[in-house]
Amino acid sequence: MKPSISRPGNWQLLRLWTGIGLQSFGGGASTTFLIQRTFIEKHKYLTAEEFTHFWSLCIPTPGINLIAVTILIGRRLGGAWGVLASLTGLLLPSAVITCALAAIFQQIEHLPAVQAVIRGVIPATGALMLLVAFNFAGPILRKSSKEGKLSLLANSAVIALCTLAVILLKLSAIVIVVSAIVVGALCFSPKPVPASQEGERQQ
Amino acid sequence: MINPLLYFLLFLKASLFSTGGLSNLPSLHQDLTGAGWAGESDFGQSVAIGQISPGPNGLWVISLGYLTYGYLGALLALISVVLPPFLVLVFAAIYEQIEHRPRVQGAMHGVSLAVVALTLAACWTILYQPSVDWKGLLIAVGAFGLALSRRVNFLLILALAGLMGYLLYGLG
Repeated sequence: MKPSISRPGNWQLLRLWTGIGLQSFGGGASTTFLIQRTFIEKHKYLTAEEFTHFWSLCIPTPGINLIAVTILIGRRLGGAWGVLASLTGLLLPSAVITCALAAIFQQIEHLPAVQAVIRGVIPATGALMLLVAFNFAGPILRKSSKEGKLSLLANSAVIALCTLAVILLKLSAIVIVVSAIVVGALCFSPKPVPASQEGERQQ
Repeated sequence: MINPLLYFLLFLKASLFSTGGLSNLPSLHQDLTGAGWAGESDFGQSVAIGQISPGPNGLWVISLGYLTYGYLGALLALISVVLPPFLVLVFAAIYEQIEHRPRVQGAMHGVSLAVVALTLAACWTILYQPSVDWKGLLIAVGAFGLALSRRVNFLLILALAGLMGYLLYGLG
């Protein structure tokens, strides 16, 4: 895995995460999108590979995946203080805004204008979720296309099958992840390269 | 009368035995309505707020905490969802011990493929719901283009989507 290029100080971490905690209206899709944009694209503190790897570690973790990924990013970029700065930055503003919304929601939720605005924002968060998926898929598909057409096809097929299994068969995330672990260990484990190339040449 | 310690432990239990932001709902629903500490409407309202407020959708429990037990409830709910994800450090430590094994690398690659699939499925879940019609899909296409261009401020994209929602659904 490529190491990240530069490191922010802990105040910079607090500032960046506070920006995300204040802006990410629209829930998890917006939050993940802003994390990718801020830490990978804008500041290049993380590579896309690292982020996908972090997220994979968060999948089996109990509770909210986004909080687990915030912990991993904070630790990578600033150790224990980095974790504290990152969690505080993300959660303090978003928790306060959530509380404030809870306090006023009952009065405003039935207003037609509010419902219309929310009805417009929801599809936009769907679009952000799609971009988040592309950002996850990017490094995986680039790497596999370097390995050859067969690898690209196999990786794309597993992604497509898992997606359809969730949408059409309503399989739970746990079933999908466990199946993907088995398929990955059987089909995607790196082989000892020189030996297999020798074998192919002899054939 | 709510017992603060028990209240916190119920939230913590729900978070500890869940994966992802909303899978703690059934446990909380059963425990809190069973104790008479929350009403049916508190749940629907909180989940809706979690979808529009900043931060992970899983912060819906903060809203549930506020609606059922005021600021103390919100604080206890926040602490209950922050603690369990720290277990990721244990998973990371275990993974670092075994990551050189080919089978482990293959399994981890499989998980990363599942991550892409689950994200795509989440996108489907958001877009394939009754409130999203063809006008909503047009908003999604517009937001996708603006976000992809990387030139438009994030909040401006959401504000434009909200404005389009108001113009398309609010005036009719």
